Amino acid sequence: MADRDRTGTLLIVIDNPPYGDWRGREALDMALSMAAFDQPVALLFRGEGVNWLRVRQKGAAIHQKTVSRNLGAARMFGVADIFADQGAMARFGIDQTEPGAELINADADFYNRFREVIQP
Amino acid sequence: MSNAAMSGPDTGSEAQPTLHLLNKAPSHPRFPVCLGSVGPEDHLLLIENAVVALTDNSVTLPPRTSAMMPDCQARGLADLVGSTVDLVTPAGMVALTDRFQRIISW
Amino acid sequence: MALPERNNEGFLENAWQWDKATAEVIAAESGISLTDDHWEIIGLLREFYKQHEMSPPSNRLFVKAVKEILGEDKGNSIYLMQLFPGTPAKTACRIAGLPRPTNCL
Repeated sequence: MADRDRTGTLLIVIDNPPYGDWRGREALDMALSMAAFDQPVALLFRGEGVNWLRVRQKGAAIHQKTVSRNLGAARMFGVADIFADQGAMARFGIDQTEPGAELINADADFYNRFREVIQP
Repeated sequence: MSNAAMSGPDTGSEAQPTLHLLNKAPSHPRFPVCLGSVGPEDHLLLIENAVVALTDNSVTLPPRTSAMMPDCQARGLADLVGSTVDLVTPAGMVALTDRFQRIISW
Repeated sequence: MALPERNNEGFLENAWQWDKATAEVIAAESGISLTDDHWEIIGLLREFYKQHEMSPPSNRLFVKAVKEILGEDKGNSIYLMQLFPGTPAKTACRIAGLPRPTNCL
């Protein structure tokens, strides 16, 4: 990924766990809306946000839609990349994700590759 | 699970076993405050966002910890943690709250 | 026939109660008689919902999804508007038994 130019891309960061509130869903909604207008956009999951990517989620158990399934539509809609911070993945013991995500170190260098970074 | 709570309505005594209901994730400021308040006879029940703590290697949970089963199922945790922690159904939660005179919702 | 429960905009409350006869009735309400071309898009939406537990959130994303799956010949707004007049995403999701696209006014 290092060689691809992302200077024009907006990075949306999700760092809160899924299901507990609507913040993360709003961030995803924002990403999809940007993609709908062909604006380059990528998603980063860090901190407790990596729990969005865990396999075998079943939102129906609490009468919600499964966030990992919703997220699975992001690439089809034009969200360029889904990143996950590898430190957070290790912290939560996640070694398999749904949908697939690219592991990176979410440090300042990584953020500097993007035109704009927002953490809703 | 503890039998400490079965020792009867000891109203007025200083250290009554307490059930702590925690729905905050580890990054929430109230999470460490709650964990710091769980006494040796107390029970901790993780619900909603708090269940992600079950796989968080930066967190040490008290020995008497349970978690809401549907919240774990939604987050893909039920199969992972089912052997190490009691998973409580909504009916089980009612039974658990009945066992304690004192309940703190964090 | 008795249709499954619907909301005030005619969308099914539960996408899993849908069947083809339901689609025919809902389509007829909009003056649409379903052809193979319609069923192709309806099938695509049903599959999309099964995978992603959501409707395409907007008309643009509906067109984008069709384009990804069936190519440019069908993944364009003119083709989809001919099949599903009005706001194609709304009309098509209603007939396919999916929830209302969240960002369609």
